Amino acid sequence: MWAYALRRLLAVVPTLFGVTLVTFFISASIPGDPAVLVVGQRASPETLERVRHEMGLDRPLPVRYLGYLRGLARGELGRSLRTQRPVAGDLRERFPATLELTAAAMAFAAVAGTLLGTIAAVRGRLWDTLTRMVAVAGISTPVFWWGLLLVLLFYRQLGWLPAQGRFDPFLDPPPAYTGLHLIDALLSRDWQALVIASRYLVLPAFTLGSVQLALVARMIRTGMLEVLREEFVRTARAKGLTERVVVFRHALRNATIPALTAVGLAFGELLGGAVLTETIFGWPGMGKYAVDSIGSLDYPAILGFTLVVGAGFALINLAVDLLYAVVDPRIRYG
Amino acid sequence: MKLCRAVVVWICLLAAVLFGGTAAAVAQQPPRDVLVVATSADPQTVDPGWEMDNHAWMVFYYAYDRLMAYKGGTTGVEPQLAESYSVSPDGTVWTFKLRPGVKFADGTPLDAEAVRFTFERLKAIGAGPSEVFPTLDRVEAVDPLTVRFILTRPFGPFLSTLAHPGASIVNPRAVQARATQEDPWAKRYLAENTAGSGPFVLREWRKGERLVLEANPAYWGPKPALSRVLIRIVPESNTQRLLLERGEVDIAESLTPDQIAQIESQPGVRIERHPSFFVQYVYINNRKIADPRMRQALAYAVDYAGIIATVERGLAVQMRGPIPKGMTGHDPAAFQYTHDPQRARTLLQQAGYDGRELRLLFADRFPWWPALAQYLQANFSAAGVRVKLEQYAWATLRQKYQEGDFDLALGIWTPDFADPYMFMNFWFDSSNWGLAGNRAFYSNPKVDELVRHAAASTDQAERLRLYAEAQRTVIEESPYLYLYQKTLQIPMRARVKGYVFNPMLVDMYNFPGISKD
Repeated sequence: MWAYALRRLLAVVPTLFGVTLVTFFISASIPGDPAVLVVGQRASPETLERVRHEMGLDRPLPVRYLGYLRGLARGELGRSLRTQRPVAGDLRERFPATLELTAAAMAFAAVAGTLLGTIAAVRGRLWDTLTRMVAVAGISTPVFWWGLLLVLLFYRQLGWLPAQGRFDPFLDPPPAYTGLHLIDALLSRDWQALVIASRYLVLPAFTLGSVQLALVARMIRTGMLEVLREEFVRTARAKGLTERVVVFRHALRNATIPALTAVGLAFGELLGGAVLTETIFGWPGMGKYAVDSIGSLDYPAILGFTLVVGAGFALINLAVDLLYAVVDPRIRYG
Repeated sequence: MKLCRAVVVWICLLAAVLFGGTAAAVAQQPPRDVLVVATSADPQTVDPGWEMDNHAWMVFYYAYDRLMAYKGGTTGVEPQLAESYSVSPDGTVWTFKLRPGVKFADGTPLDAEAVRFTFERLKAIGAGPSEVFPTLDRVEAVDPLTVRFILTRPFGPFLSTLAHPGASIVNPRAVQARATQEDPWAKRYLAENTAGSGPFVLREWRKGERLVLEANPAYWGPKPALSRVLIRIVPESNTQRLLLERGEVDIAESLTPDQIAQIESQPGVRIERHPSFFVQYVYINNRKIADPRMRQALAYAVDYAGIIATVERGLAVQMRGPIPKGMTGHDPAAFQYTHDPQRARTLLQQAGYDGRELRLLFADRFPWWPALAQYLQANFSAAGVRVKLEQYAWATLRQKYQEGDFDLALGIWTPDFADPYMFMNFWFDSSNWGLAGNRAFYSNPKVDELVRHAAASTDQAERLRLYAEAQRTVIEESPYLYLYQKTLQIPMRARVKGYVFNPMLVDMYNFPGISKD
């Protein structure tokens, strides 16, 4: 299994190389001059030239790309044209926020989706129809609409949850051991911070997770319906096991495998796709950063973001493949 | 059934923890001595030597002092760090006496050397702000409290430029301490930190979340009423609106006109409205549309009142020539084009317009641009000119401005310093073709001469006379369509007192003068 994991990890390298190549040349061939965006409305041609030189934009594309790769080999992602800071630093600052949001969204989608899917498969028509309605609504409602709706309801009407940001703006967040507020609050035993951070997390995570929840629920339902018809389930029932044990111990585990694939793919998608949710809820993550970078043709930042998301995607897929073996003992890697 | 019950119990438990004792925790009214501003994005940097963006200026302007400052809400300037100044008869040497006893926030004395260092850094970095001082040759520290600016040639607006954010005096010690071989001017440090002598200091910047300005205890001037300014990053304008309604923020920066109309009548909310130098105009590519009669025809085709009433909801004033109302040099008697499609048709005929389709370019940069472009298209078509609309990404459109790849293009302009130079020299001097300012690619040797003379003269009356003469020509020849200057709306809580709008400091708030009830 370790040899397999290592092989897969090595295979990620050429993939990421391809990602840099494509992203670099696409972002470089978009018409528009990043230097112009830096020096403002009305710089003279000499100033433009100087700034362009300083930003390295006057060198030919392949040379710039090679320079970028050389930096990459040293673990550097280049310097952002916009913020004048190393991209790696910019991303490191924002990555925990995105990770926390996507992980919470995914956890919510996985747990609630599994429950809904199971209930739909096991209970009668009514429950099935209800969960299908939830699923269809989840898939077909645009994220920004969900977000605005939830803000109106829970912030404006009920005043239960905050609408914006990641932590109380008047307080300091828990010390940043991991950058994930929930974990940091737990580590420092700051229960008040834990509650505050959770409250800020609820609406964005729910919004972001709603689409995936619907997907998971549908997959689990389908899987469940198939598994429940199998002979081993009949055997289990015949042995006199309670319905709960039959459903959760025996059937669910088998119905999970296809859903696991979906969850893995979805997680990668969430990493890159949290952009809208982050904007609606003012969540200080990478998505917002990427959008701002695209707007100003900040290609080192765009590349850095793409790379991180690409790497995240690849790693999660690997993790999912390894998990198959845990869920299904028949699957072995070696 | 057991299953369902368990689920319900868990959900209730979770909700109790999360929603418990909520009301107090959600709607936090900021304390009296803290001003909360909601803005849509982080500034890119807070480096006065690098930034040309009001968004960043808003954050760092009051962390620094400058030799000169704007007088209240006017475009006039008065000494700030300077105590007095004099200029040599030929207008090329300016000598300033500095206010004694001023210290940077870290205790370093602010002396002539700091001023010299600031401008050396500005020129060495050579980014946008250095453009504001086109004739500056060098700065000399004569003695600790005397500093001398030597210009390559006289520059009429010079004093006014010293109030520009780029002229913020930075602490040489703070910069030198962080300088490295690769980064000799400590750009990285000043990108995220302030090092000035102003009434506030940037204490914290959590990217995408908030910036915190704190009153500088060592400040030499009067102590501000606010002890902190909290700038919250709120990308979604709907959310900004809700936060303002509930009093969680005191000023909301990026509301749409619709949203402002909706909250206008609510108790506790006030809308500040001020005429601005934010100018909306149309570039006519003079290289492609060379006949002045054709350009005049376009100017007569526009329904100015209709555009202001619909596109801007009445919150704008039609321009009278290139220099906006409120700016020195504005000519209240200047000729103003009116909506006269018949006249436009006649002029088109005289110019021999062949019916070719013109390309009108715009971008997604400003929310009112699509509506404005469509309105203009309809106006032109009513006068018999076919116009095709082309929408681009902002960065792409700027490239096209630079290359002159358009017939007509929407554009906006705001002045960096309070002088007609910002309009007349940038827009009409033929050495500024392209993005640098003359985006109409207009060329008239006589106008060149007039505006260059006006720029070099230090005799204000003479300058105004020259600009007035140049204005008559450029209104007549119509290289641009002078549409309107916008009225800015700033929504804030009614309890915010002491706010002063300065048309030179758009999107910026006079933190030192603001207090709250």
